[in-house]
Amino acid sequence: MNFRTKTRLWLAGIGLSVTTALMAPLAALAAEQKLVVVTSYPPDTTETVKKAFEAKHPGIQVEMLKKKTTAGIKYLQETSGNNTSDLFWASAPDAFEVLKGDGLLQKYQVKVSGIPEKVGAFPINDPDGYYKGFAASGYGIMWNTRYLKAKKLPVPGTWAELADPVYHGHVGMSAPSRSGTTHLTVETLLQGKGWEEGWAEWKRIAGNFKTVTERSFGVPDGVNSGQFGVGIVIDFFGLSSKASGFPVDFIYPPVTTLVPANIAIVTNAPHREAASAFIEFLLSPEGQEVLLDPKIRRLPVNPASYAKAPKGFPNPFKDKSIGAAVKFDLQLSKSRYNVINSLFDVMVTYRLDDLRAATKAIQDAEAKAKGKSNANADAMIAEARALVAMVPIDATKASEKEFNAIFKKKRKKATTKVTGRQAEIEQEWDEMVKANYAKARSLAEKAASML
Amino acid sequence: MSSTYKSKALGVAIEDITLSFGMTPVLKSVNLTIEPGEFFTFLGPSGSGKSTLLRLIAGFGPAPSSGRVLIGDRDVTHLAPWDRNVGLVFQNYALWPHMTVRKNVAFGLEEHKVPAQEIRERVDAALDLVGLLDLAQRRPSQLSGGQQQRVALARTVVVEPQVLLLDEPLSNLDANLRVQMRREIHDLQRKLGLTTIFVTHDQEEANTVSDRMAVLDDGVIQQVGSPMSLYDEPVNRFVASFLGTANLVDGRVEKTEDGTHFLANDAIRIPVAVAELQPGAHAVALFRPQSLLIREADAPAAQSSARLEGKVVHREFLGSLIRYAVAVGDHTLLVDDSHQTGRECFDMQERVSLHLDRAQVRVLPG
Amino acid sequence: MNALSRGQLGPGVLAVVLGLFLVVFLVVPVAKVIYVAFQDPNTGALTLVNFADFFKTSLFQESFINSLYVAAMSVVLSSIFALPLAYFTTRFNFGGSVIIQTLGIVPLIMPPFVGAVAMALLFGSNGSVNLLLDEWMGFTIPFMEGLNGVIFVESVHYFPFILINLSAALANIDRSMEESAQNLGSSGFRLFRRIVFPLAMPGYIAGASLVFLKVFDDLGTPLLLNINNMLAPQAYLRITSIGISDPMGYVISVILVACSLLALWTSFLAMKGKDYATVQKGGGGLSKRELRGWERVACYTVIIVILLLVLSPHIGLTLLSFGTVWSFSVLPDAFTWAHYATVFETSMQYVNNTLLYAGLAALIDVIFATAIAYIVWRTQLAWRQWLDYAAMGAVAIPGVVIGIGYLRTFYDFNVPFIDKPLATWWVIIVVALAIRRLPYALRACVAALQQVSEALEEAAENLGATKSRTVRRIVVPLMTGGILAGFITSFATASVELSATIMLVSAESDAPLAYGIYEFMQSASGRGPGAALGIIAVVIVGVATYLSHLFIERRREAHAPEIAVPAGA
Repeated sequence: MNFRTKTRLWLAGIGLSVTTALMAPLAALAAEQKLVVVTSYPPDTTETVKKAFEAKHPGIQVEMLKKKTTAGIKYLQETSGNNTSDLFWASAPDAFEVLKGDGLLQKYQVKVSGIPEKVGAFPINDPDGYYKGFAASGYGIMWNTRYLKAKKLPVPGTWAELADPVYHGHVGMSAPSRSGTTHLTVETLLQGKGWEEGWAEWKRIAGNFKTVTERSFGVPDGVNSGQFGVGIVIDFFGLSSKASGFPVDFIYPPVTTLVPANIAIVTNAPHREAASAFIEFLLSPEGQEVLLDPKIRRLPVNPASYAKAPKGFPNPFKDKSIGAAVKFDLQLSKSRYNVINSLFDVMVTYRLDDLRAATKAIQDAEAKAKGKSNANADAMIAEARALVAMVPIDATKASEKEFNAIFKKKRKKATTKVTGRQAEIEQEWDEMVKANYAKARSLAEKAASML
Repeated sequence: MSSTYKSKALGVAIEDITLSFGMTPVLKSVNLTIEPGEFFTFLGPSGSGKSTLLRLIAGFGPAPSSGRVLIGDRDVTHLAPWDRNVGLVFQNYALWPHMTVRKNVAFGLEEHKVPAQEIRERVDAALDLVGLLDLAQRRPSQLSGGQQQRVALARTVVVEPQVLLLDEPLSNLDANLRVQMRREIHDLQRKLGLTTIFVTHDQEEANTVSDRMAVLDDGVIQQVGSPMSLYDEPVNRFVASFLGTANLVDGRVEKTEDGTHFLANDAIRIPVAVAELQPGAHAVALFRPQSLLIREADAPAAQSSARLEGKVVHREFLGSLIRYAVAVGDHTLLVDDSHQTGRECFDMQERVSLHLDRAQVRVLPG
Repeated sequence: MNALSRGQLGPGVLAVVLGLFLVVFLVVPVAKVIYVAFQDPNTGALTLVNFADFFKTSLFQESFINSLYVAAMSVVLSSIFALPLAYFTTRFNFGGSVIIQTLGIVPLIMPPFVGAVAMALLFGSNGSVNLLLDEWMGFTIPFMEGLNGVIFVESVHYFPFILINLSAALANIDRSMEESAQNLGSSGFRLFRRIVFPLAMPGYIAGASLVFLKVFDDLGTPLLLNINNMLAPQAYLRITSIGISDPMGYVISVILVACSLLALWTSFLAMKGKDYATVQKGGGGLSKRELRGWERVACYTVIIVILLLVLSPHIGLTLLSFGTVWSFSVLPDAFTWAHYATVFETSMQYVNNTLLYAGLAALIDVIFATAIAYIVWRTQLAWRQWLDYAAMGAVAIPGVVIGIGYLRTFYDFNVPFIDKPLATWWVIIVVALAIRRLPYALRACVAALQQVSEALEEAAENLGATKSRTVRRIVVPLMTGGILAGFITSFATASVELSATIMLVSAESDAPLAYGIYEFMQSASGRGPGAALGIIAVVIVGVATYLSHLFIERRREAHAPEIAVPAGA
């Protein structure tokens, strides 16, 4: 075979394979109705539900598009001009609120019956009818049993206990700006304890953090592998990790919110029929039971489904202690969504080293002060605590409309007046926070030296 | 610095060296003695093993499978290159492009932990010796070929090696520079009195600089001697043809009452003065083109000369001489005739007679 | 001028086409992202106020310093890994040089974030190594704490860039360079420090600057290790955060690009003033020598320790892929095949997609790279250097920037017949991969072209071959080795790319391997299958690379002149 013939054959081969390759996905597209679901859920959940759904509706092919909640919102916003997604399926109701606010969701009336109005203190469905709760989730604490045993740590039961000095450097959490459900946890505690005390408690806990993970799954992952011992996670992460065989356990602390995990149809969804079929399936007794799968472990919103749950599985419709302590104010949460994220990042995520050092110094001073009475030292420790707890803005400012606008992605109207830039404000906060942490640390160290 | 060398000059002895690259033998039982202070040349075609032999003395390349190398009384066969103190100038000069000329020359002294002040003085002296003191701060890439050559020389001699090895150092230079450089190298060697071994494939280079030389072919030393003795008295066909142009005629020796003759076919019959060869034995007659006198077809020959008849088949004008190819029987002999202005030359196809003095003929065993 | 109209029309048209491709798929998308950095967040007017904010903000100053520190330290640690491997294998004769060189390149064919998962399990504060250390010695070493972890993971992943370049440079040093130093009394480490290493400097700097660039821009590793205060993660976090109008992400992108270009430029300048060309006759390559007894032991010890370190991601991943539960223990509790079964059942589409995407991208790369190399080095077209600059510039553009740029630029463009936006069509992933890996292929092709003497082309043209036929029949066949090397590098690195693709995957059925692994790694029961998929990826890419290597060697033997042709001169 001479060179030229060979080259031609080769080129022909490439041409052929390129054409085939180009055609293949096309063919698949044409053959069936395809449902595109933008979801933040892991394949364990999506694959299992998908399988069950496709078995019921053989004509529909489900396409799961995995995005982090935050990235999912971003994706829907960026692509809204030429939308190809049908459903948005994620946990945090806030995320749905953001999309609803941007006009990216459409209303839908569910046909399935038997689902109550509320789970815990939280309404299951969007009162405006845009998104529907399909499962309940609550934040809690998970821990690695081997880790706690090796390090001789007690099993934590409440948020406050996580602030105990024994847990210093053993706790992990995700950032609220990175994870919609983490945001909810932060917000829940703030609503439950009030702005000042809420933040103070978060910082006491955060002072014990080993790390702030970038992904919400980073927390169960860290606990599962033993990178840190205790994690603040959403229930299904803890429950499914346990179900997967990891030496971990999970509890709901008293102050938690059970919030529905949701699903909604995207505005201009190309396959509205298939989308509604998916929602109906998810809420049907059949679909609800899929949630009990060991790999998923979510709390169904249909109380009847709990009959099939394994022993010891939490049932919020029976156990009224779960998630009932705080009445979650969705409007309040919405009004300060981005400000909370930014505050948490400035005070905790990006200043974790400083916060940890200050906390450690305070914890050491407090340990030394125990049993001694040195009013001077006690006052300095208290001052240090107060400095760490200090928040740059108050609750009123955090919910101020004009102030929030600085953090908004899109201005509704060009005339909306905004003064100040996010970077400018964050730098102001950061300066104050950094100085406070440094001062708190030196105060605590000074107090310790006096004891 | 010259005085220090003369007193220290050491000889080199190569004793029964055999060496192979893998399965290919490259040197076959080589024996050589190089006298202290001598300018010695390894001459041979490429692949003859001359560079391998030189690198062996410097300690590069595979170890010999037998034999040893002595510098003075010291057996260096298994010494590392850096422990030998022999200076090697590479064919491509191997100047380090990341160092200045001064740094290049100073390198060896620095490696020998010579004090900084002394390094400075000796580098200056060495650069002065090769006339490059002005260019000390240049980089090698900024120098001409001849200058690079001088730097390489300076870099090598500055460490006062016991033996200087030169690996085809002139092959990368153009013709004029080559003549100039070989003189400079020769002068330098005389000035320093260094035992020097020079590798080349160019016989003219070898002849002009060498005290003695060894002709190598196929990993074997063919002959050792002064340039003139090798030219005049080659011991075999290879040496004869490699050094200069030679007419080599195959034939046999015949003894009759009018003396010993060399015979090739019927056309060539030359009286010769050798007695060692048995009559009838196969032999090769060797004579140089300039030993043949070319004359008119009917010109008589002198008493001591043989007379051959032939026909001009080719003619080349080479400036100082004219080279004819003359068909004698079925042999073609080369004849050099010195050229003078106005002198007529023989035409193609013209019949001529060739006269050959028997003293100029050397008969080698066939 | 006449020559231009006659001989350069074809190359001219080709250059315009290539230029258009680069403008549409590189310049415009990047410009779209960069533009935001210069917009006032409140009024939308052009302004530099965001940059002022950047330099005033202490968090960004810290991030900037951290990124520089991590990139610089990664270069140092990578060098510590690469130097002994390159030096020993090019200088000494011992068994397994080829294996060592090959193993040394394996880390490149694993996405760094996967390596980070495995390394956290082995070297984390409660990883295998520290658990053992704590038990035996009573102390632990913070390999993976904070920036240490990023430096460690990045060095393990990117050190092959130094290894490859340095080995090539060492192999190209003329033997006489080293011998002349030995002849003057130099040996051992001094010889290496004073002669060999300085001569290999161009290769080292090329590799080191690439490591610096890649680490400086890398996103996945810091994110996975939860390090936020570095530039790339800051950019990503700010750009992808929920509905936040923060132009700082874009400002950081601009700064990333600027720093990368600066690093490229600096390394270019550093090499420019010095003449390191050692293109000379004589024995090519350093002489290899045998090792003596204890030297052999020492060398092998060093090499084995380094290989264990740099292959630790693979070791960890293998354990993870076969392990049942691996939690706070030295090794997994038990071993199983189940994860592989899961992957083969459910996830082979990732493998197919990857082979298709990376294959097509690498094919586009070598075709374009050959064309660009030829236009830049063998024609006199005006502006031709800009093709080279633009294509090489892609190396300085972080994947995130490309990803966002594509989403912004191509979302509104509907592909005819397919009827969906170009940004969600799988072909855009191929284009992104091709653009991102083009610099690798381009350098390989330029090097190959420079080895083809122009005299060979002139000979063909003299015998009546037209320009295009000369290129096809003489130049390209002689460049085959380099072109294939470019193909392999592009293919292998494209198969594990995540940063741009993660933003462009719009349907799971279109997702490549790295994305699949990333997704698996997001659930408790997905770690095992994710690891299994990772191992499959490494094996497939490894085998593909090895086969191409074999093919190159065959071609090289068949085209012996390729080596015999004197370079340049």
